[in-house]
Amino acid sequence: MAMPETLPDIKKETRPDSTTSLEPGYLVICWDDPVNLMDYVTHVFQVVFGWHRQKAETHMLEVHETGRSVLLREGMEKAEFYVHQLHKYNLHATLERDAS
Amino acid sequence: MKLIRLGRQKLKFEIGEEEKELLFQVLLFYPLVPATHHRLNQDRRIPDPNGNQQLLESALRDQQQENRALLAKLLKQPRRFTQSEGGYYVSFSRPEVEWLLQVLNDVRVGSWLALGSPLHQLEIQKGMSKPKAQKILAMDIAGYFQMAFLQALQKYSPTMND
Repeated sequence: MAMPETLPDIKKETRPDSTTSLEPGYLVICWDDPVNLMDYVTHVFQVVFGWHRQKAETHMLEVHETGRSVLLREGMEKAEFYVHQLHKYNLHATLERDAS
Repeated sequence: MKLIRLGRQKLKFEIGEEEKELLFQVLLFYPLVPATHHRLNQDRRIPDPNGNQQLLESALRDQQQENRALLAKLLKQPRRFTQSEGGYYVSFSRPEVEWLLQVLNDVRVGSWLALGSPLHQLEIQKGMSKPKAQKILAMDIAGYFQMAFLQALQKYSPTMND
């Protein structure tokens, strides 16, 4: 895992991100469970998000090792859509408002 | 179950007679996961959580009905399975494999929920009740076929032809 860099004492600029300025962002989170097969979870991430295998596997391993993985940050409607897609495959996924 | 041919549109397998019987038996359990199982969120800051939850459950119920109809159709197609030396040949389109994966996983997750969501893998033991043993078996069999389909899909290359 990459280490954080030590930066000069510069005040962080607030980024005028279009999503944050117009509407709150929502996080699509996938949670670990002891029943879904690792290969299956990777496959679902590939199908639902159109990710290549390596990216899907990285998120699957994060779920497996840390208990959860933030998969996406989106507007409410899109985030809900993705959570619903993950539920169709019986993965444990939730929607959270992004606090950052 | 062995992958025989992998094309852009279809996957052809050879399946043993007993395997076919097991696949049919395990598919007949579908659906097992209640639509109320999935929670959209636990975040109170999200607008109208109850309304959204109801929409989710209704959509999941609709999807289960649709899958059940597709499944009934599949199980009633004797011509889909043709005799081979070691059992049967069977072909599935890629969308069919996709929903078979969903259906099999529903049986796996639903059996696990019915077993009380154990943290560790359960094994069938002497003296265990029949329903409990059946659920453990269903989980294992569903997982076996899921892995067979997933391994077949992993072999896919976009340059393949049917």
